[in-house]
Amino acid sequence: MVEISAQQKSWGVSYGEMVRREFVKNKLNVVNLVLIVILFALAVLAPFLANDKPFMIRLDGKLMFPLFASLTASDYSILLAAAIGIWQLILIRRNRRNIEPSVRGQVLTRQLLINASILLVGSILFFVFMPRRLDATDYKGLISSGRASDAIFAPIPYGYARTDLKVREQPPSKEHWLGTDDVGSDVLCRLIYGSRISLSVGFVAVGISSLIGVFIGSILGYFGGKVDFIGMRLVEIMMAIPVFFLIITIVAYWQRSLFNIMVIIGLTTWTANARFVRAEFFKLRNQDFVQAAVSLGLPLRSVLFRHMLPNGIAPVLVEATFGIAGAIFIEAALSFLGFGVAPPTPSWGQMLSLGVSTTGRFLWWLTLFPGLAIFLTVLAYNLVGEGLRDAIDPRLRKAA
Amino acid sequence: MNNSTLLAVDDLSVHFFTEDGLAKAVQGVSFAIEKGKTFALVGESGCGKSVTALSIMRLVPDPPGKIVSGKIMLEEKNLLRLSEKQMRHVRGNQIAMIFQEPMTSLNPVFTVGEQIAEAIKLHQKKDSERAWADAVEMLKRVGIGDAEGRACEYPHQMSGGMRQRVMIAMSVSCQPDLIIADEPTTALDVTIQAQILDLLDELQQQNGMSILLITHDLGVVAERADDVAVMYASRIAEKAEAKPLFEEPLHPYTQGLLKSVPQLGFEGERLATIPGTVPDPLHFPSGCKFHPRCPVGGQDKRCRTVEPELREVRPGRHVACWYATDYQTQQERNEYESKYRQ
Repeated sequence: MVEISAQQKSWGVSYGEMVRREFVKNKLNVVNLVLIVILFALAVLAPFLANDKPFMIRLDGKLMFPLFASLTASDYSILLAAAIGIWQLILIRRNRRNIEPSVRGQVLTRQLLINASILLVGSILFFVFMPRRLDATDYKGLISSGRASDAIFAPIPYGYARTDLKVREQPPSKEHWLGTDDVGSDVLCRLIYGSRISLSVGFVAVGISSLIGVFIGSILGYFGGKVDFIGMRLVEIMMAIPVFFLIITIVAYWQRSLFNIMVIIGLTTWTANARFVRAEFFKLRNQDFVQAAVSLGLPLRSVLFRHMLPNGIAPVLVEATFGIAGAIFIEAALSFLGFGVAPPTPSWGQMLSLGVSTTGRFLWWLTLFPGLAIFLTVLAYNLVGEGLRDAIDPRLRKAA
Repeated sequence: MNNSTLLAVDDLSVHFFTEDGLAKAVQGVSFAIEKGKTFALVGESGCGKSVTALSIMRLVPDPPGKIVSGKIMLEEKNLLRLSEKQMRHVRGNQIAMIFQEPMTSLNPVFTVGEQIAEAIKLHQKKDSERAWADAVEMLKRVGIGDAEGRACEYPHQMSGGMRQRVMIAMSVSCQPDLIIADEPTTALDVTIQAQILDLLDELQQQNGMSILLITHDLGVVAERADDVAVMYASRIAEKAEAKPLFEEPLHPYTQGLLKSVPQLGFEGERLATIPGTVPDPLHFPSGCKFHPRCPVGGQDKRCRTVEPELREVRPGRHVACWYATDYQTQQERNEYESKYRQ
């Protein structure tokens, strides 16, 4: 062990490692990061936390596992993605200790490729071979009627799409910890499933907008001159479009689907990224090390994305965390207005809109809890963004 | 151009089209670098020597800069006519560059080994492991101890002299024919300067490459250069082999420069200076650009109105000055002066 750490020390501290250490110094950052990790865990493990099917049940004397049988292909894909993601993080940690820096880049590329292809093939297999099973059995009814026994339920034994008009619009109680909504679904259960929508909207939309923004911004910033002038006018035209109304128009016109919302948010919010990257590249392109890279005859692709981008990515990362918060917010607002995902798929914004019932009653639990969820998530991402910016900044100051 | 010439710059002019007006950064500069020799380009800051170097690499920032005329011949190729793709092949492979500021000329996010290996991988088509081994070998050659360990370090973990060694290793790694060293020692401690220059000499001998040394330090030039061109206000003022130039400078500017070098043994004396400042490239004086500061021809009407061309006044000695003639005796000089000072 001692040997390894001595070796590791001589391998030097990378830029990412330094930023990480600076980031972890502030305990608030760690708290926020943990909050986000918990949110991720909730989203991934949602079917095991809240489900109206029991893990295990003895039905007519036969042992059955309805929860596992009812998992859909997308559930399995999400689980697989999470497992591979964790495995990749472990691998990166291990690489840092065990793999020589000379081949580390190659090894990492290979690992990423292998893992990505496992994920892709796995998901395709799940979607092709998993039968779509609709299990509408009322297991609780079976238990109370005495046909089934020995049931083990998830901590929250309700399905997000399960309606129960007998208990509609109930305030928080022992059975429904956070109350029920207008069709009698459990609010906590729907909150947990809603985190899936929020996270996927946040990450996919920001992923799309970051890719477009970085690509356009780096080209504008590197070439400058006429390219930049024309490009910036296009960016300004893009910025003049009110994104929210554009999304409402498009969603009203086409389908109300999560995919549409993600793509539209991604395609319309890249301008901030493009401008940040452009500004960074303006600064970077006259730096000696960029000139040195060019003077070594490296191809443009390598100069732009290998040598310049890692030095100018900091504001994009910060912007991405704010962007995730923003995208979650837009999705919530759209759902609140009824343009979001279609029920019964749960979404925080849509739950919020149920806070005023059709009978005119104000249902505080339907306003407070989804509101809190949106608030905490957006806050956590924003604070992580701030923390990241602070962690990156002092190093930039040192280098300058 | 003969066979021993590696690089010939011919009548190079570079203009900068700035918002304040046209800045003629380089005007009609010509010189030739011999194979295996060191050519020094000397001048004060802002005289156009760095722009000349960047033009050879085709790295002049465009806009606002533009190479408006001239030829840069690398053996049989005119570099100014090459496509960007062909130029990429020249850069690093045939011509490499060492920058002035070692603190900023290495990429902070990669280990030094990765940075050297990348160029080797690209130009010599080697796989990662071979390129890495070559990079470590290069670090050894430039005198870095524990090269295996150092290759895995990031630039910020190294001292300035060490980084300049890495920079040299990087530029020499693909065995270029020409190294452009743009003030390679200016940012370094005096004790390190000599080491770095010695290292360059040593590598030059091993690889037989040429060096274009750009500097304002005449001490460096006197010791290392074979040929020298002195630049003043975007033109070459004087061009010659190093030895005669230092023994008998012909241009008043060169004379002034040499007088202003501090020397041991002259204690208590005030160091000579050239009065005035380098002219702003946006507002060059008329005639000879040196005339407002010139102790010889400052009052001469011709100096004030007509710019002297670079002429060969003696074999191998080119001077751009109306007063520099091929006179041999004091009498000839007097005659010359009486002819133009009326």
